[in-house]
Amino acid sequence: MSESKYTIGNIDISTVKSKRPIRKGTLYNLVTGFMSLMKGMKITAYYFFHTKEVVTEQYPENRETLKISERFRAELKLKKDDRGFLNCTGCNICAQNCPNGSIEVIAMKGETNKKEIDRYIWHMDSCTFCNICVQVCPYDAIEMKPNFESSALDRRLYIYQLNKYAGPTKKNLDKLEDPADMQRLVNLIKREPYKGPIPLGMQQGEEHNFNHPEPVKKIVVKKETAKDVVKKDV
Amino acid sequence: MNANWSLSNLTERINMSSVFVEQLMWVAVGLIGVVTFISLLALVLVYAERKICAHIQCRLGPMRVGWHGILQTLADGIKLFLKEDIIPDEADRLLYFLAPFFCLVATLLSLLVIPLSPQVQIIDVNIGVIYLGAVSGFGILGVIMAGWGSNNKWSALGAMRAGAQMVSYEISTTLSLLVIVLFVGSLQLSEIVLSQQEGWWIWRAHGVGVLAFILLLISSVAELNRTPFDLAEGESELTAGFHTEYSGVRFSFFFLAEFINMFILAAMMSTFFLGGWMPFHIGQLTAFNAAMDLIPPAIWFIGKTSVMIFVFMWIRWTFPRLRVDQLMKLEWQVLMPLGFVNLFLAAIVVLTNFYFFA
Repeated sequence: MSESKYTIGNIDISTVKSKRPIRKGTLYNLVTGFMSLMKGMKITAYYFFHTKEVVTEQYPENRETLKISERFRAELKLKKDDRGFLNCTGCNICAQNCPNGSIEVIAMKGETNKKEIDRYIWHMDSCTFCNICVQVCPYDAIEMKPNFESSALDRRLYIYQLNKYAGPTKKNLDKLEDPADMQRLVNLIKREPYKGPIPLGMQQGEEHNFNHPEPVKKIVVKKETAKDVVKKDV
Repeated sequence: MNANWSLSNLTERINMSSVFVEQLMWVAVGLIGVVTFISLLALVLVYAERKICAHIQCRLGPMRVGWHGILQTLADGIKLFLKEDIIPDEADRLLYFLAPFFCLVATLLSLLVIPLSPQVQIIDVNIGVIYLGAVSGFGILGVIMAGWGSNNKWSALGAMRAGAQMVSYEISTTLSLLVIVLFVGSLQLSEIVLSQQEGWWIWRAHGVGVLAFILLLISSVAELNRTPFDLAEGESELTAGFHTEYSGVRFSFFFLAEFINMFILAAMMSTFFLGGWMPFHIGQLTAFNAAMDLIPPAIWFIGKTSVMIFVFMWIRWTFPRLRVDQLMKLEWQVLMPLGFVNLFLAAIVVLTNFYFFA
């Protein structure tokens, strides 16, 4: 066996050959090439004559009938059950994993002597909607919703407080056996209402109706800025 | 004194023959007509191009300005004319200024000989085919001047590519046109149309016509610098090729020339192979031919030309771009030999009177 120049360590790679494309005759290539060109022409002709294939939306005009995929990521929301209790435990994992630092979770110690969520603040102006926060959440507490009509003229209006409810988590509340006990705990928590700016009326009404959003005119900018709110919390 | 200033003795006063004045008037009317025609044509073609490409790509295209965006090109034209005309510092100013006019004039000159209908043909020269070949070379000159005058690497590269490409593909264009010249025995465009009274050359010529038609289709797409042969202005490689440095009105001239060229080549293909303004006739079937004659010739011409323009656009928005060496290989190793063989076969067909309705 002769010495090979082409070795990696002890392995002789001189016999390894890359797979080459099989070259057929000119006539074969000509015919198949022409056929594939015709195939392309057929496809484009199909799309040209079938207007139902058009994917463009005439957005402001078809606002009433617009359908956006459920997977579209435009708005971060806290998940809650039918009683209005949150899954969120205030563990801060989403905030730690956010690449832009767009999430602030402010936790407190509640009546159950456990960590509870006080405020969940989302800075939409620096959010890239990457969905990492949703993926890393161990309690399935947040989700991305397709409501995209969130434009505003002031940058401060992009600071959202996602929770209205502040108190024991659903997990802790479910551990209590006596429903009266649970009600007592819920009532005990003194919830401070959010005083920051309210973008597009989204936080006052619980559910933002996608099909009939509030007109832009109705934005209420309160005198206290979001910055003040954040400062107060810190 | 007053009588001397009447219009009737104008020719006497300026010492011109009335025939000359009449010709001058005719040229003026022709020029105004042509300028109006090409402006309207460019508006329609640009709109058609944008709409067709949009629907091929599952889009809608312009929808806002006017009904379905029908005034979009007009608005774009106004914008182009109002834009600043930038001249690079290092540009060769004479060539830079002249290039767009060369391109536009070449297209205008080609438009003169195309028979739009039996009545509408501005000049019917007896060497129409040679004239068309000669005048389209004028446009290449404009492109090379633009590329050289801009003093920009992309422009220069684009112009060189455009020059090489257009000169090469001129050969197969001419070879396929010569097939029809062999059949007709005349270089006059009106006679070429009249010779198709019994059937269009594309199917009368026993396959030779079809092959010549395909050759002309490929080479005219190449001459138009459209995809798959848009190496001269390939956006991903050369930004815009020979007109990288142009802006405003001068850019719009190139744009105009490109679209009018498309119309001219489509009109040429319909004139040579699809009968021009001649309705669809089959031999001596007088009843059928009379029925076809009910549609006016101008409609026939516009219909055929529109179909060819649609084919050009369809090809453009379907095929990927070729490499430079592939482009040259296609012409010199495939199309040109094929063209010569086709011409030889056509000569045999003509000599043996083998074609339909001889």
